[in-house]
Amino acid sequence: MERQFDIQIEKLKKKILKMCSLVDEQVEFSIKAIDENDHELAKLVIERDVKVDKYDLKIEKICQKIFALNQPVAMDLRLIMSAITINTNLERIGDIAVNIAENFLILKSKPDFISATKYFEMSRLVQEMIRNAIDSFIQNDPKLAQKVIRTDSIIDKYNIDNHQILIELMKENPNNIESAVALLVISRQLERLGDHATNVAEDVFFIVEAEMIKHKYEKFIMEDSADEEDDDDEFGQRIDK
Amino acid sequence: MKEIKIQVKNLNLFYGNNHALRNISLDIPTNKVTALIGPSGCGKSTFIRTLNRMNELIHGVKIKGDVIIDGQNIYDSSVDVVNLRRRIGMVFQKSNLFPKSIYENIVYGAKINGLRNKKVLKELVEKTLTHAALWDEVKDRLNSSALSLSGGQQQRLCIARALAVDPEIVLMDEPASALDPIATAKIEELIHELKNNYTIAIVTHNMQQAARVSDQTAFFYIGELIEYDKTTKIFTNPSIKQTEDYISGRFG
Repeated sequence: MERQFDIQIEKLKKKILKMCSLVDEQVEFSIKAIDENDHELAKLVIERDVKVDKYDLKIEKICQKIFALNQPVAMDLRLIMSAITINTNLERIGDIAVNIAENFLILKSKPDFISATKYFEMSRLVQEMIRNAIDSFIQNDPKLAQKVIRTDSIIDKYNIDNHQILIELMKENPNNIESAVALLVISRQLERLGDHATNVAEDVFFIVEAEMIKHKYEKFIMEDSADEEDDDDEFGQRIDK
Repeated sequence: MKEIKIQVKNLNLFYGNNHALRNISLDIPTNKVTALIGPSGCGKSTFIRTLNRMNELIHGVKIKGDVIIDGQNIYDSSVDVVNLRRRIGMVFQKSNLFPKSIYENIVYGAKINGLRNKKVLKELVEKTLTHAALWDEVKDRLNSSALSLSGGQQQRLCIARALAVDPEIVLMDEPASALDPIATAKIEELIHELKNNYTIAIVTHNMQQAARVSDQTAFFYIGELIEYDKTTKIFTNPSIKQTEDYISGRFG
């Protein structure tokens, strides 16, 4: 007989997966709206944000209920703790998709000089990061999560490159300023999407490996983790079988 | 390095042909709370009773291995068992108070040890009842029957009585399992206070209680010690799957 607790966990996972697929689509649509000069698609992204917010509330309620009624421990505890932060990050990804769509509507149309920037490479890679972060959660795959974390530095570099390119374009021709500023904002938002995908990946790593790698993940990515234990962690008796 | 109060080495216990404890080795640190958890019949209560030689009272018990307290093997033939049990107090699941007054229950052990001075005895009663967080509730009725107290108060009186003979170690075998949440919370608060002065080992079936009160946790299963580590480690990231399955209720 399946335990009530496991049923609650499954319900939570299903809701997160639905939220994942919704925000993934929101990002895809916001980028596609720019690529295809599609104002209607941008408006759809803005309209659908209310759905993302509803999932956010539902997931938070389920987590609250599980904490209050089941006092989860070990992997269950890590899952529920992470579900709360993953949910927050997904909701922020949804908000950023809306911001991108809104900025595109300000732009009115895709500027000609967009191909001179790293926008296309950046938007493609950000979508891949978000999908990999979601897949790492679905498959409990810490290696894929690490890949997402590693990719974030490339996104940061694209953002810096875009700034330089767009500033030069503004200097060259003041008529570019309005579009270039909107594109600067979009570039920054893509960079934030990368950060949120990274946060999700860090949580997946925590769920599976029980290691908190946020703020210190370079150590885990670059080196084979030499554990940095807290002072009070000295106790611990392993049982030799 | 934490100071070790009790060192258990290769401990085996047999009830007749039943091998109830299998080669247990663990160190219990001084002034810490060590929780012993595991399903019914896993040997945790049997284990805690080996720490003050209580199992010897059961017919047919055979014990092999060492339990070393402050450098001395308590199973050494030269050890005075009465003196040992004075150093190691014990509190059980059901309160086992004497059908006497609150005052008499506290001073009983001290009187047996020859203490007669009334002023000293009165001070002892106040001190131990204060230690057991019971003084304010009973100070005006010390001559009332101990059995007139509520379940939670009776259990704290048992703890006070154990403390009255000034032990170094307090063993608790499911001390709050028959109590309501408020009385349980008081016992747990008391355990937190007591560990400043005593080394405590507690058997509990309540996972949350083990997580709340203890510094380290030992998980027993069918007479074996499966895992022993810091409580935070056991409840957030146990090393062994059997432990994880048990604490998260997926056992069996």
